[in-house]
Amino acid sequence: MPSISLSVNGRTHALELDPEMPLLWALRDSLGLVGTKFGCGGGFCGACTVHVDGAATRACMLPVGKAAGRAITTIEGLGAGAGGYDQVRAGAEGSEPGSHPVQRAWVELDVAQCGYCQAGQIMTAAALLARTPNPSDEEIAAGMNGNLCRCGTYMRIREAVRRAASMATSSAPGEGR
Amino acid sequence: MSAHVSRRTFLRVGSAAGGGLLLSFGWRPSALEAAQAGTPAAASLQPSGFVRLDPDGTVTIWSKNPDMGQGVKTALPMILAEEMDADWSRVRAIDAELDRSKFGGQGSGGSDSMRAEWDLYRNAGATIREMLADTAAEAWGVTRTECRTERSRVVHATTGRSIEYGPLAARAAARPVPQKAAWKPASAFTLLGTRVAGVDNPAIVTGRPLYGIDVRVPGMKYAAVAKCPVFGGRPAVVDDSAALRVPGVRQVARIPGHENPTFLQPGVAVVADSTWAAFKGRDALRIQWDEGPFRDETSASLSDQFARLARGEGTTVRAVGDVDAALAGASRVVEAYYEFPFLSHATLEPHNCTADVRDGHCYITGPLQMQGSGALVVSEVTGIPRENVHIQVTRLGGGFGRRLLSDYAAEAAVVSKAIGAPVQVIGTREDDMRHDYYRPAGARALRAGLDANGRIVAWDCHLVNLSRNAYRRGTSPAWSTETYGMVTGLSENLAPDFELDLVPWHIPHVRLRFSEPRSGVATGAWRAPAHVANAFAVETLLDEIAVSAGRNPVDLRLELLGPSSALRITGDDPTPYNPERMVAVLRLAAERGGFGQRPPEGRARGLAAHYTFGSYCAQVVELSVGPQASGAVGAPRRVTIHRVTCALDCGIVVNRSGVEAQAQGGIIDGLGHAFFGEITIDRGGAVEGNFDRYRLIRNREAPAAIDVHVVPSTMRPTGFGEIAVPVIAPAVANAVAALTGDRIRRTPFVRAGYTLR
Ligand code: FES
Ligand code: FES
Repeated sequence: MPSISLSVNGRTHALELDPEMPLLWALRDSLGLVGTKFGCGGGFCGACTVHVDGAATRACMLPVGKAAGRAITTIEGLGAGAGGYDQVRAGAEGSEPGSHPVQRAWVELDVAQCGYCQAGQIMTAAALLARTPNPSDEEIAAGMNGNLCRCGTYMRIREAVRRAASMATSSAPGEGR
Repeated sequence: MSAHVSRRTFLRVGSAAGGGLLLSFGWRPSALEAAQAGTPAAASLQPSGFVRLDPDGTVTIWSKNPDMGQGVKTALPMILAEEMDADWSRVRAIDAELDRSKFGGQGSGGSDSMRAEWDLYRNAGATIREMLADTAAEAWGVTRTECRTERSRVVHATTGRSIEYGPLAARAAARPVPQKAAWKPASAFTLLGTRVAGVDNPAIVTGRPLYGIDVRVPGMKYAAVAKCPVFGGRPAVVDDSAALRVPGVRQVARIPGHENPTFLQPGVAVVADSTWAAFKGRDALRIQWDEGPFRDETSASLSDQFARLARGEGTTVRAVGDVDAALAGASRVVEAYYEFPFLSHATLEPHNCTADVRDGHCYITGPLQMQGSGALVVSEVTGIPRENVHIQVTRLGGGFGRRLLSDYAAEAAVVSKAIGAPVQVIGTREDDMRHDYYRPAGARALRAGLDANGRIVAWDCHLVNLSRNAYRRGTSPAWSTETYGMVTGLSENLAPDFELDLVPWHIPHVRLRFSEPRSGVATGAWRAPAHVANAFAVETLLDEIAVSAGRNPVDLRLELLGPSSALRITGDDPTPYNPERMVAVLRLAAERGGFGQRPPEGRARGLAAHYTFGSYCAQVVELSVGPQASGAVGAPRRVTIHRVTCALDCGIVVNRSGVEAQAQGGIIDGLGHAFFGEITIDRGGAVEGNFDRYRLIRNREAPAAIDVHVVPSTMRPTGFGEIAVPVIAPAVANAVAALTGDRIRRTPFVRAGYTLR
């Protein structure tokens, strides 16, 4: 099997993998980054959303061979600063929540019910705000429409995106991104 | 160590390592249970929960009920912390491993955790608070009554001096357990009723491993299981040569199945080094199936069967008065026939479980809702004695009733035993959706007779429904899982003269009949089981009757509810059904939702109410109906939900954030399944396999606003995870009828001409 060079959360890994394997399973099974979730495997639910070169991307639909050499950020690396996942992993049990405004807003507004979809929701919201720092209500609902939540947390998701937008714009530009 | 028995709970205190205090608590077995176990009641006291106070003031609470989004892992510790007067910022909540020597029957279902644990957690909190206060009072040489407790401190009222809980722990641990530890009055609550963020939130937003699917054990394999696409079928001839050639695939193992299909279904497991290889290997299996007797079943054949049965007599479950005569003598008869499809649970985390069978023991880690019965099932299918089955529960990525069953734990155990290594069995979305235990499909044929004044004098309901009780080989009557008693709310405790959720109160002549269709489709409990279909039929028919008789739908319901004095309550439910609480939520929803007032131009309002597992809910929906979604003939019209006003009474609110979240989420869940939810049967199997065909509601389709109003209460808390779900669909249908005159009599609404915007 070919060796694939994967850059995840600021760190490069060499993996011997079938290049057709979706990035999702390379993250979860080979790298142990299980924060990115499997929901449908068909691009319908958004649970597997990661950032590839800054763009929200469905890890279940991207063959790992095509992800090689690109900058991948997972939920574990979001808001973790330059240290990336290692910094998060260094935190002990009950470590501080992620510092990204979206993560902070999600905790403050108690968005999660079962929580399973929320990593994908957060990654989508972070990419949305990076592109559209002050989204309208319609832009929020449309921007988050690709992420299913079986528990129906949509009301708080909308509110948390608004909260995160106001947090981000009231702090220095680029901070926490 | 000293023990004390208070009410039906008991408490034990001991020292914890490092100078802390450890309180364990649990239920006292009934005299009957003790007699059956052959031990005196006092000797068989098994704690079900623990709380530890460390010298640094940290409070750790082991919570035994699995959390699947209903927030019990936050709520139960809140109850204890409230009574203890502990500073919430210093409380940690931890999952408890199943260990039958420590934890009793575990699980959360039927919105029951709060009902069952309220006494236990309050007694534990009050006891530890009293022991700390007594310790401080003794050290200061003052009386207990001069001291108060607040935010993890004991305070001496007159001198104002105070001491933290932590340093008192070691000495308190040496004291006897007080005989009496009074509960705080509800008016003194400082934590309960506030909004507290879930204890797992930080871990969730940073992607830490929490769920069954995240479990990683050294040396573990991954497995995917092929099952017969026809319900009730099994593999006949298996050719695994291509599967074994897939890189990463290690082994193929047969799963025999169990005579009870809710325990284990037959299949073929492909074991591999990665989830992806397991999926690819499973797809490469070539299997000839023995399809069994239901290979020709379709949704259409089931619908025909429902209609044919509904025209027949059925079995009479309950009859009062003379319905036939009353219908014959009625001024008017309103009739309606309702049909409901199978629904999939579609938990966003597909079914999965990790098992490690070695040295005669089985170690299970996974998203299980009922650890106790899970251990039983695993023991049954593996032959490993139950005491050697060890279950560690993870957070659950959704439950909705699916995880009341433990078939996926049984699968993992059987595969691990076959391969002699730890294994995670995992379903694709298609596996999960096509081999679910669905909300049973069925129909309800209703007839109501009205007198000249528009009062309902006769009510005849024929319930035609698959029975999940029959499917799981239960011993109670088949209908007993498809309609529920009102008085106690729980079918186990039905009083002999119970009422049913398909029969409104205070109608002189009533009859309920039941017919069970024949079908191979697997069925199980689905959030607010039976209530979702029953509430839709009853609440839309009541609206239809009110409108056709020119009466206010609220007034009609108040007349049927009657006074609480008209109720004969039996059984020992501490919070039995009380119609006055239903009246209160109806009035509150109607008032706050503007029901009966003129809606904005082009909009209409609809109202519905229901009682589910001890709690009361009424909702008013304001909506508009737009043009067809597309130009195609028969394309559904677009419905926009502008506002949902939800009034509910679930007793004392423990965590307001959790109650509001469950109400909003339940409304959104109920809406999505009402408009879109349907598993279609073709050639004996489920057609929909993923979210492209099995549509879940999306962000843009959710209501513009959902207002939740909770009735202030001093009654014990009752469930709130399910109450909002059954009410929303009939409220929407009633509003659509008000606007268009069209009565929707089936779900999904997309098949009745309506979609969401
Ligand atoms: S798992 Fe990738 S979109 Fe659902
Ligand atoms: S919180 Fe459960 S799926 Fe979104």
